[in-house]
Amino acid sequence: MAAQIDDWGQLLTAANAGDEQAYTRFLQAVAPVLRGLVRARGASLGAAGCEDVVQEVMLAIHLKRHTWDQTAPVRPWLYAIARYKVVDAFRARGRKNDLPIEDFAEMLAASPDRDPTEATDMAKMIGMLDGRSETIVRKIGLEGASMSEVAAELRMSEGAIRVALHRALENLAVLRERHIK
Amino acid sequence: MNTDDLIRALAADTEAEASLSGRMWLVLVPALILALAALWLALGFRPDLAEIFGNARALIRWGLTITLALVSIRIALVLARPEGRSVVRLWPLAVVAGAAIGTLIWAYVTTPAEGLQMAVVGKTIWTCLVAIPTLSVLPVGALFWAARRGATRVPALTGAVIGLAGSAAAAAVYATYCIEDSPLFYVTWYSLAIIGVTLVSAAVGQRILRW
Repeated sequence: MAAQIDDWGQLLTAANAGDEQAYTRFLQAVAPVLRGLVRARGASLGAAGCEDVVQEVMLAIHLKRHTWDQTAPVRPWLYAIARYKVVDAFRARGRKNDLPIEDFAEMLAASPDRDPTEATDMAKMIGMLDGRSETIVRKIGLEGASMSEVAAELRMSEGAIRVALHRALENLAVLRERHIK
Repeated sequence: MNTDDLIRALAADTEAEASLSGRMWLVLVPALILALAALWLALGFRPDLAEIFGNARALIRWGLTITLALVSIRIALVLARPEGRSVVRLWPLAVVAGAAIGTLIWAYVTTPAEGLQMAVVGKTIWTCLVAIPTLSVLPVGALFWAARRGATRVPALTGAVIGLAGSAAAAAVYATYCIEDSPLFYVTWYSLAIIGVTLVSAAVGQRILRW
């Protein structure tokens, strides 16, 4: 347990210093823990609904990662963000709970062979971004393109792509906020 | 979109953001300089500003307001972190409040009875009650701007502490004009102005510090 805490701290420290690989490992380590947390609380949302919330929390962690104090342990910080966002997400979705059950039939009957980490909200939000931001997020996320590839394709500098990606992710959080409320 | 795709997009975003405290000081310092300049243009400094540095009774107000501002900024920076509300320590605020009350009692005891009323009422109550909240606008605004990049889970409390910090700093700025040297005046009326700004800031925080 203690080793794991140090591990997360080291990964996030490296990540905040710009180490992309350490950051990927950090997020990959965090995702299943968040998934467990969300599913324990909101089984009624179904797997895809839970994954929406997980992705929402991951986006919040990403955008607020500079609020972590490197001298403080990671977990209390991480769980605080998760708790805040999970409560927020369930509260927002709770308001829609008066929908007839038929609307959930499809979700409840989701076939077991579909990817359990597939969620729909984030893709919808990405579709609401402006064209260029959408392309950048899609290329890098879904197609796994590198910064330089995207830069070449859009005829922009890598620095500009970097800034555009950051803005796009911030806008995603704003869109999400508006969308679920 | 599955979560691994999202992770790829997030990890590619390596834009580093400044720390909260760096960001806060970056805007707070210019805000205070502007507030000081605005005070100087609108009211001017007290003519004997250089001489009062030997007058303990008058100097205590800087001691109190600057300490309150620094303590509150520290607390606001903790509260702006997601886990802040569980690790924050609010007792330093009580210490400052205690020191202010102590000063008030000391002044009450040492002021001759016939001078008490004059000392409390002074000549500039309304200037004080208008100027301190007005001078607070810039520093409080700067602190809010920085705190919006934070991630507080207690928006109203964080807003209140920001109001405390900004208005205490504004009071320290105002003290360069204020000619009332009795703690009976400045502890009473500065506090009232600071409490007013704090309450408004709590309401503002509740609205704008959500994320």
